[in-house]
Amino acid sequence: MTDLVAIISDNWLLLLVGQYPNGPLGGLACTLILSILGIALAFPLSVLIALARTSKWRLLSWPATALVYGARGVPLLMIILWVYFLVPALIGRNVSGFTTMVCTLVIYEAAFLAEVVRSGIQALPRGQMEAARALGHNYLGAMWSVVLPQALYNVMPSMLSQFVSTIKETTLGYVINVHELTFAASQVNNQLLTKPFHVFFILAVIYFIVCWSLTQLAEWLERRIATKRRGVSTVRPAVDAENIVSPIATDRPVPVRSIS
Amino acid sequence: MISFSKVNKWYGDYHALVDVTARVNKGEVVVVCGPSGSGKSTLIRTVNRLEEIQSGELTFDGRSVHAPMSGSELNKLRSHIGFVFQSFNLFPHMSVVENVMFSPIRVNSMGKSEARDKALSLLERVGLASKAGAYPAQLSGGQQQRVAIARALAMEPPAMLFDEPTSALDPEMVGEVLAVMRSLANDGMTMMCVTHEMGFAREVADCVWFMDAGSILEVADPQTFFKQPQHPRAQRFLSDLRTH
Amino acid sequence: MKDFNLMAILLNPEFSAMLLHGLKTTLLIAAGSWTLAMTLALILLAVRLTPSRVAQHAVATYVSYHRNVPTLVQMMLWYFGLASLLPATAQAWLSEHSAEAVFAVISLGLCQAAYFSEDLRSGFRAVPLGQTEAARALGHSYIGALRHVLMPQAVRNAIPALVNHSVSLFKNSSLAMAIGAAELTHAVKELESRTFRAFESYLIATVIYLLISLLIMAIGAWLGRRAALATAR
Repeated sequence: MTDLVAIISDNWLLLLVGQYPNGPLGGLACTLILSILGIALAFPLSVLIALARTSKWRLLSWPATALVYGARGVPLLMIILWVYFLVPALIGRNVSGFTTMVCTLVIYEAAFLAEVVRSGIQALPRGQMEAARALGHNYLGAMWSVVLPQALYNVMPSMLSQFVSTIKETTLGYVINVHELTFAASQVNNQLLTKPFHVFFILAVIYFIVCWSLTQLAEWLERRIATKRRGVSTVRPAVDAENIVSPIATDRPVPVRSIS
Repeated sequence: MISFSKVNKWYGDYHALVDVTARVNKGEVVVVCGPSGSGKSTLIRTVNRLEEIQSGELTFDGRSVHAPMSGSELNKLRSHIGFVFQSFNLFPHMSVVENVMFSPIRVNSMGKSEARDKALSLLERVGLASKAGAYPAQLSGGQQQRVAIARALAMEPPAMLFDEPTSALDPEMVGEVLAVMRSLANDGMTMMCVTHEMGFAREVADCVWFMDAGSILEVADPQTFFKQPQHPRAQRFLSDLRTH
Repeated sequence: MKDFNLMAILLNPEFSAMLLHGLKTTLLIAAGSWTLAMTLALILLAVRLTPSRVAQHAVATYVSYHRNVPTLVQMMLWYFGLASLLPATAQAWLSEHSAEAVFAVISLGLCQAAYFSEDLRSGFRAVPLGQTEAARALGHSYIGALRHVLMPQAVRNAIPALVNHSVSLFKNSSLAMAIGAAELTHAVKELESRTFRAFESYLIATVIYLLISLLIMAIGAWLGRRAALATAR
């Protein structure tokens, strides 16, 4: 026990911010920045992909579906390797591990978030889109003003769950030497050498605290939204992303209902 | 105002509308009734093309509704047709007055303050001016449906379509909605209503269409229809209603 | 792109051997951890169904831990951390018998067991209450009702989620690379550094992963259809 305390008190700064200011920002700070960047950039992309998926034009829906299948049928590690190789090849110069990781996360998360957004759109009663069209609004106008505001609000808890997943996915940056939290922990381990269990246990605990707190927040949000929406439409309460079920198997399945 | 000429619709093999031919004249109030599954809702939804037809002609205010047209032309046409849904379909994330003003601003390019004034006067007309700032979740079913009527009226349509407007309401709220519809009829609005409310039909309608299995079997004025229906299925329908 | 030459890799005996070995390891890790996960999930479910509050809290904590700590970190904790706590003889035995793969199987299995048990639990909760009541009303015992009425329906409900998490499990086998296991992703990375043909190497692995993932999904869809037919009215 005293070992654990000693390790934490000696290395807390390294774990928190990496070698900053003597090096790039690392540790938990880097993990969180990676995750926030990843999901923030992925979000608008995911809305576009979700709209393309639900569109009736095959020119839009097929590539979008292929993208989603692809990103979800291939291990994240493979996608990292691809991005690590393709991005420098495409733009002609080397990119840092951090940039690679951000690009990978954006692509990967956009695919998953797209399914969450799609489930939100399809869970909304048909009548909303019908009423908007009956009043003379066009499809995109109705989407923007009527469907998306409701759908996105309803799936906020699922999106928060997806953020938690993103945090967990940043650990793969370790494999390409991104200075995030897991990398920092392995550095501590390499210094100490004799206490691997303690170091990695501390690492697990840190992740647990961060992810668990966010998951609790997501569940609280879900309860609040369910009560707010009870009055009017029969909107299904937003579900934890991992429990949404879909015929295309992935780890973020989605309910499929026909849309008008 | 609305004319159907040999309109046919199929859902796969199921013949939902069979050679429907009828007219709603300007200023008329037509009630469409019949047993469930008769195609009444399908018929009214073809008028603003929420349902497609496979053959026949349907015109609204002189315009052919099912002719090939661009998306924006269809949107424009729909904005001239008032439609009230059975499940109201108010937009829950907008307040009552926003629900009413939103489409005139966005679709008809009305100015914001002009739209707001109009919305408030329409809400006054349906008796809900005091609820302008409330959200749909805070309103009862009857109140929500009245807002939905105001929302449709805000687009200044020459005719209003009602698809079972009171079927989803608790009985004590049916009256307030029918009262609004009655006052609209008295003001000369052309109306086509699918409804089970026979009292309303008897008092307000100019013409009753009885439908069964996709065809209009009888067209008559309310006095004749309710006293002496001609078609045997109409007779059975009315007697079923009475014995409840 | 330089000259694209897939055959240079596929036809070369040394390289194709590397790929096959990697694929074999991946499949072994996936199969091993799936079996472990499924078995453990059923046990966890059984424990959860007992009336003991302590047991239920224990399972809930287990699930919460495995869902909130990243899979890679769990793997590292097992391989770097727990392995160091084992006695020396055990450690020696393990390093001779591909310790990396063993620990990958253990950590993946334990992690996915948490997800599978939650899927089964959701499947259970989706069975209407009336089913148990009807079974008891007809005279079945508690165990009988569980076995013949509840479990079949619960498993049927859970199939889509289970299939999804099975695909995750399969994909997560690639994480074993981080602790040194010679599975497919590792093989492909080796290949790339040997041949400098990143595109071809990665493409082969990607296609293999996609095909197997799609196969699992197809099996899942077939199982789902069979289940639906059995309960169709």
